[in-house]
Formats: sequence, structure tokens, C-alpha cells
Amino acid sequence: MMRVPRAANRPRWRPRRREPQPHERFQQRFLLLKALILLLFGVLLFQLARMQIVDHETYSTRAESNRLRMIPELPPRGLIYDRNGEQLVENLPIFSAAVVPAGVPDDQLLTVVAEVSTLTGVAPGEIAGLIAAAKKSDDPYTPVVVKEDLDDTTAFRLRERQADLPGVRVLVESVRSYPAGPFAAHYLGYVGRIDEQEYDELRAAGYLLNDHLGKTGVEYVYESVLRGTPGYRQVEIDASGRENETVRSVAPRPAGNLVLSLDLDLQRQVARYLQDAMGPSLNGVAVVMDVNTGELLSMVSLPSYDNNVLTDPVDQKALPALLDDPAKPLVNHAIGEVHPPGSTWKQITGTAALQEGVATVDTTITSLGSISVEDEYTPGRVWVMRDWASLGTMNFYRGLAMSSDVYFYYLSGGYYQNGREVFRGLGADRLARYARDYGFGSPTGIDLPGEVEGLVPDPPWKEETIGEVWTLGDTYNFGIGQGYLTITPLQLVRATAAIANGGDLLVPRVVHEIVDEQGNVLQGVDRKVARQVSISNSNLAIMREAMRQAVVYGPARTGASSRVTIAAKTGTAEFGRPLPDGRYPQSHAWYVGYAPFDNPEIAVVVFLEKGIGATNAGPVAGKIFDYYFGRQHLAEREGAP
Amino acid sequence: MNARLIRLRDFDPLLFLAAFALVGLGTLLIYSGSFSQFGSPDGLDFSHPVVRQAAFAVTGLVLALLFTRIDYRVLGSISIGLYIASVAALAFVLVAGEVTHGSRRWIEIGGTPVQPSELAKLVVVITLAKYLADHQEQMGSVRVFLTSLVIAAVPAALVFAQPDLGSAVIFAAVWFGMAVVGGAPWKHLGAVLGAAMVAVPFTFIGLVTDYQRERIALWLDPQRDPLGAGFQAEQADIAIGSGGMFGKGLTHGTQTQLDFLRTETTDYVFSVLGEELGFVGAILLFALFIVLLWRALRVAELSRDMFGRLLATGMVIYILLQAFINVGVNLGLLPVTGIPLPFVSQGGSSLIALLIGLGILQSILLRHRPFTFRNFYGG
Repeated sequence: MMRVPRAANRPRWRPRRREPQPHERFQQRFLLLKALILLLFGVLLFQLARMQIVDHETYSTRAESNRLRMIPELPPRGLIYDRNGEQLVENLPIFSAAVVPAGVPDDQLLTVVAEVSTLTGVAPGEIAGLIAAAKKSDDPYTPVVVKEDLDDTTAFRLRERQADLPGVRVLVESVRSYPAGPFAAHYLGYVGRIDEQEYDELRAAGYLLNDHLGKTGVEYVYESVLRGTPGYRQVEIDASGRENETVRSVAPRPAGNLVLSLDLDLQRQVARYLQDAMGPSLNGVAVVMDVNTGELLSMVSLPSYDNNVLTDPVDQKALPALLDDPAKPLVNHAIGEVHPPGSTWKQITGTAALQEGVATVDTTITSLGSISVEDEYTPGRVWVMRDWASLGTMNFYRGLAMSSDVYFYYLSGGYYQNGREVFRGLGADRLARYARDYGFGSPTGIDLPGEVEGLVPDPPWKEETIGEVWTLGDTYNFGIGQGYLTITPLQLVRATAAIANGGDLLVPRVVHEIVDEQGNVLQGVDRKVARQVSISNSNLAIMREAMRQAVVYGPARTGASSRVTIAAKTGTAEFGRPLPDGRYPQSHAWYVGYAPFDNPEIAVVVFLEKGIGATNAGPVAGKIFDYYFGRQHLAEREGAP
Repeated sequence: MNARLIRLRDFDPLLFLAAFALVGLGTLLIYSGSFSQFGSPDGLDFSHPVVRQAAFAVTGLVLALLFTRIDYRVLGSISIGLYIASVAALAFVLVAGEVTHGSRRWIEIGGTPVQPSELAKLVVVITLAKYLADHQEQMGSVRVFLTSLVIAAVPAALVFAQPDLGSAVIFAAVWFGMAVVGGAPWKHLGAVLGAAMVAVPFTFIGLVTDYQRERIALWLDPQRDPLGAGFQAEQADIAIGSGGMFGKGLTHGTQTQLDFLRTETTDYVFSVLGEELGFVGAILLFALFIVLLWRALRVAELSRDMFGRLLATGMVIYILLQAFINVGVNLGLLPVTGIPLPFVSQGGSSLIALLIGLGILQSILLRHRPFTFRNFYGG
């Protein structure tokens, strides 16, 4: 059998093995490329979905906050009047050069800085620094003030150049002016530009980076009233901060105006009288309080300062003198500094002794010019406590009227003979309790900042603070307003007002009421009684009579008025180092009183840092009473038909 | 060379339709992006970006049809000349170019700014295709491999020096893709990849300029300088994210119209789309790109010769990478590099180069069938 070659037959019925076509050969690589296309667009799509669908809300909010800017619209700051309607502040416009950091393109920064520097005279480095700092802050759209209070020419030239200096603005700002200057500075305080710390605290309340606010005085305490309720415009802005259109707006609500308790006319007189009596004193204080309301008709602290220097824009030339003055004119010495009250304290010791039954009007004590006290801890050692004179035998009225130290040594510390108690006194604890009851040792709560509380000492305090045991001598000193005791003039005049008005310890006030532009009362400032002092009416009446007698025949007669019957008390508080004979070369002069005696209206305190109460402080008080009641008399006569 | 038949029936309208849909979309976005500054075009006012772009598109279309008509193999024969001219132009730009945004990229020719790097990309695609096609038999040789690398590396180095990191990356990617398709050995490709990995940190320290380093640092942390260069990237993110699903509507994007977006008709045109046309608009854009790239890959698949195949591949990689890098920058996925979005961004050089490229692809398509009787008589 013939073998047919099978191999030769095979191609006939088997498909020819052909070379792969070129497009097939590359198919794999093209498939890879297609996968790459889909992968890359897939990556993009994934990220896109994350941004546009998942995080859409976040981005939307950011786009809106890019686009929309709230521009606060401040109402004009509230005005302030004295109680007779005299205007105490003015709002004046000033021009300021400012830069919107976000509005300055990087490539024009140097040009802008150089031009602004040339026009305003501010160093280029300073301007660049301000811009750089604000650019990094979270609000680069609020203008940063480069220079305040431009003169008209500079403001005009800068405004002309605004078009080709991107981001540069000329702001019209309102600043305060105080026509009464130093006469009302301690009432009003001043307004300043917001500082970094204040901004952090207040930005939530709508304050801006270059905002103003009251820094002290009623400008500070009544900031919310004087600022009013800011409105706003919500505007659409473009990337360089230019306003496009107003989307929404809410008008600001006008600020309230303040009517102070201050009687500016009286204040000027009081300041004059006090200034004339200053002598070598570093400081002097006089306060006139309405005994029925607690309002302060006058409060003079010398030296005063001109608040126009400190209010924004600050007068940098006059500032150092104010800050360096050893008399500390910026401090309101009526509330901000403490001194021993001296004999004006005897009303406190006296009423406490009456109330506790330690003394009655008939308690008679003899002063031979001093008393001797045996040291409790060193037997045989004797302390001599002086009186200011040998005043003889006195009842309560005379003891206070003549301001006998010995009388009040007895009432406060008692008297011991040969270790035996022959007169029982109040003791330090009870006296301290009454002192606190009269409001000493704590702030009065006046509507002004910077009040200090003073010190009412007692045995535990001495042990804790000084580390020594309280002695009888300490009690004696405490009883006559010396030693560790310190008070503010305001605390004293308020305690005196309480004695005059039947025991109401009032919260002192410098604002009488809040009114709107038409003068309608928005909010009265009510008479506020801190508490009723715990002295009975009859005992207060005894003290009033004693203070009356002090003016009739005691040292306090130096403050007597020809126009009104007053009741008063002097004080001469020794301070500094004693001389070898135990006397002090320096003393504070005090005088405190009220009038009219039978129907009290005002209480007055006068304090001179150096002087004798009767000699130096009394006459000032006398002139104040004279002026106040003389003026009233004149007004009544003129008002009569 | 085989005889070829020109068949107009093989012309791919879809390739052109997708491209011109992208150009149309781009023109709308340029209109919106330039609206706040230029308003609506007033007749044939050539200072208006929309009119300019339309003029470039028309010019590009004419040139594309011209290149469709020309046999693409002619380009292969003059590729050396084109290449030398391109490299010379790139070198000239470095010396005498106009500086924009800290980078030297433009030269003025007859009042029109020309960006040689855009044309150079097309020329490099042609040159590489020609070289790799001519050396198919020696693809295993290191010499051929390295020569192809140098062809891409010279223009890449020149644009890198402008500095234009993005375009340099495009050159590198185009070379890599074409080498893969051209049949370069994997071990050579792997070695280059490895060397690149090692070189990147050194390049970053030594060669990359402060400008580029700053841009990369900003990409990593846009908050670094919220009002400077980081501002753009940040604002682009906000624009896109706030666009949401359907966008804010053409000319109603607040980021675009209030100028929070910068270079909103060129590098950041995608952000305008994201903000005003939203996710839906972006999907349309991506779909158009995918159709375009698919049709361009079809050209590579159909091409009868290696030169055509590599040309089409190069074009695909060029368009794909350029689109990916541009959108990636807009989305904050990549560091900021000024690369236009193909067919969409405002700019004549890029658009005309791309349309010429598409014309070349059509030329390949029309000539892809071998001359046979069946073909000749129809079938």
C-alpha cells in the first residue's frame, strides 16, 4: 500500500497559520493604553465627586464667605451731657490712611508701600510690616490703619491716588473731643483704638480690627450704651475687595446719650477752690455727693489730665509728661488711692460705740493731753498715747466736736488702770465689723473703673499679714483713724451721707440717666442702696448733733458756711516717719460734712495729701458749701416772680 | 512602501466632532471667564478672547484639513528639519522670550504671542515616531533606545529651563509611551524608570528652581501663603467644590466672576467649568476627551505602518497627559504647573498644534488601506 504523505495533504484542509496582523500585534499595548485612559479619568472623576458632591457644602460656605462681606455700620457714638444739659463730648471726623491687605497684589506691594510712605511720612518698613501681619491674619479684608489724623492736603492727595494704588483707602473716622478737658476727665475717661487682646475678646460682639472703644471712665463703663447697636451691610465684593452690590442691609440703632450726675459748673468751682488750697500737696480730692441719691455732683482729683491727649488719636508729644508725673494725674484719687482717715473716722467709732452701748451722750472722759498704756506683753513698759490738746472733761458731743483722741481711745480700746479694766471699749473686732458695715474695706460699686477697696484691719489680719500680735495700741490707733486703716475719699463721703440721710448706704453714681437723641429717658439710673447701716436712727441723730457742734465750737468751724448750716468733722492723719518726740512731721488733711443740717442734701469730702484738716481742708469745704447753696439761693431768687 | 488608497469614506468625523465640541465648550468657558473683564464680544473684535479663540479654531481647522490632505509620510521625511527648528525656537525663547508668571515661555510673532513648546510637542511626536519606525529592526539596541530618549530629552530640558516642569513631564511621558508601543525592551524601559526615581530627589534639590520648589511646597500646603501663589490653588478648589452637581450656571460663578480665580481662561479654565457647569459639565468634558482619545487610538490600531501607529500613539499620550495634568492641578491633585487643557484653554499655539495633530491622524486614516483590487473596486 502506497503511503500517502499526510503532511502534504494537511494544508489543504487545515487553516493556514497566518502572520498576526499588525493591529493584532499591538492590541495588547493599546489595551494597556485604554486602561490608562480610563484609570486617569477615573482618578479625576473620583476627586471631582469628592469635592463637588461629598464636600460641596464646605466649599459652598467658603465661596460665600469669599464673596460676601459684612460691613458693620456704626451709629455715631453716644453723646454725654452734664446734669444741666451741658455737652461734654463731641464727635469729630478725621481722615486716616489705610490699606486693605488683600487688595494689594504681590507684584505691586513695593510700589504701594513706597507711595503710601512718601505721602504719609510713615516708614516703608512699618507699612510693609503691618500689611504682612494682616495678610497672615484670618481677616485680610479689613483696612489696616497706617496713619491717623491726616491733614486735609495729604488726605486729598491720597484720595486722588487711590485709583492707581490698589488696596489703599482713605477712611473717615469719628474721634472724640472733650471740651471740658481736665475738668471732666475723671468722669468721662477716653476712647482708644481696640488693642489685640480686646479684639480677641470682643470680635464675637462685632468689634472690628480697627475699631474704637472706651478705655476708661464712663466711656468704658457705658461702652455698650454709647456704641449703640451696629447695623451692617452685606455686600458682594470682588477679589481685590471692591464692593459690587449691597445684598442686604440692616440700619444701625442709634446709641444712647448719657446724662451724668456731674454738675460741670460746680465742678469747675470745686477744682478752683481745691487747686488754691493744694500747697505742697501732691494730690487733692474733693467730692460732692447727693446724700439722697448717691449721685456725685462733683468729683475733683488733682492733678487732673486732659483726656483729649489720650483719646484716639493720641497726642504722642503730651503723653510722656502725663505718664511720668509723680502725682499720677491719670489716677482718680477719689477712688483709686487710699489713705488713713484720721479723725474723720471718729464718727464711725462714735456711732459704733453708741450702738453697742459702750458710750452714751453722757459718757464723760477726761483728757489730760495723753494716756499711758502699759504694754500687754512687756510688763513695765509704758506707751504714751497723745491727744492733740489737753481738752479736759468731755461728754460724747464735746468729745467728737473737739475731736479728742483720748475720748476715742476709751471708746475703742477701753481704759486700764493697774491691769484693771476701768472702761470697757469696743475692741478691734467690733469696730472692724462696724467699719465694714459702713462700706469700708470694699469697693463702693461706683460706675467708674479703677476703684480700690482700702483696708479695715483686725487682729487675724495683722497676724496673717504682718505676723505680729494685735495690741491695745493698735485698737487705739484704729479708733482714731490711724494705724493700718486706709480708706478712699469716696468711701468716707458715702458713709457720711449715710449718717446724714438716716442710714442708707448708697451706691455712688456718676450717670444720672440714659436718654435718646430727643432727650427722652431710655433708662433711669435708680438710686441704689447697698444696705442700711446698723446704727439706730437716734444714734445717727446724736452723731449728726455732735458733727453740728464740731462746726459750732470745734476745729470743724473752719468749714462753716455763711449760706447754710452744716455738720462736719475734720481729720489730720499723720503719716510717714515719726520724729524722735513721737510727733509726725507730715499729715493728710481731711474734712467731711454735709448740709443743710436739718434737711441734708449734699455731703462733701475734701482731702489734701499734705496739710492739717481744720487749717487746709476745712476752708475748701466751706467755699464749696457757700458756692453750692449760694448759687441755689440765686437761682431761687431769679426764679421767683 | 506599500501603495495606498486615499478613501474619503475613512475620514473619521467623530474625531473632529469630539475635538470641536471641546473647542466649543472651551469657548463658552473663555467667554464666561473673561466676562467680568471684557463683557460680550462686540462683532469681530480681535482683542476679545472669545473672538481670538474662535479665529484660532478656524485657522486650526483649515490647517487640520490641509494636513489631512497631505500624506503624513511626508512629515516623516522632513521630521529632522522640523525637530531642529523646534529646538532652536525653544532655545530662542529661553534667551529672548516674554516672561509671564515667573516663567519665560512666549515669543511675539507679528503681534501674536507664540508658545514654541506647544508646537514642539507635536514635532517631537512626529520625530520620535519616525525614528522608532525606521529602527524597528534594531529596537533591542541600546543605541537606538538612547537616541530616542535624547530626541525627547533635549526639548524637555529646554522647557524645564523656562521653567515649565509640566511640559517637560509631557515630553518624558510621550517618549515613554511611544517607546513602549514602539517595542523598546522592557529592561531598558525599567532601567530608565529606576534611574528617574533615583534622580528625582537630586533634581529637586539641585536643578529645580526656587520657583518650582515653591510651587510644589504650595501644592502640599496651599494655606502656606493664602494670598500669594497658594491663593490660586485654594480659590480653584473653592470654585470647583462650590459648583456642586449642576454648577452655578454660565457667567454666574462667583469665584470666576468676582476674580477670585486667576488665569481663569487658561490654566484654570477647568475650575470655571467646575464652578459654573458642575459635576455634570465635568462628566461631559471627560466623556468628550474619552471619545476623542478612543477615536485617536483607533487610528493607531488601524494604521498599516509603524510610523502612523506611533504618531497616533504619541498624540494620544500627549493629549491624555496634558488633560490629566491640567485637571489634576485644578483639583489640587498635582502641584501647580502652567499647562493648558487641550482644545479648551485659551491660547492659539496649543489649539493649532492639537488640530494639526488631529489632521495628521485623519491623514493616517485616509491612507490606512493597502492598494488591492478589492479595495480599488470597492467592497
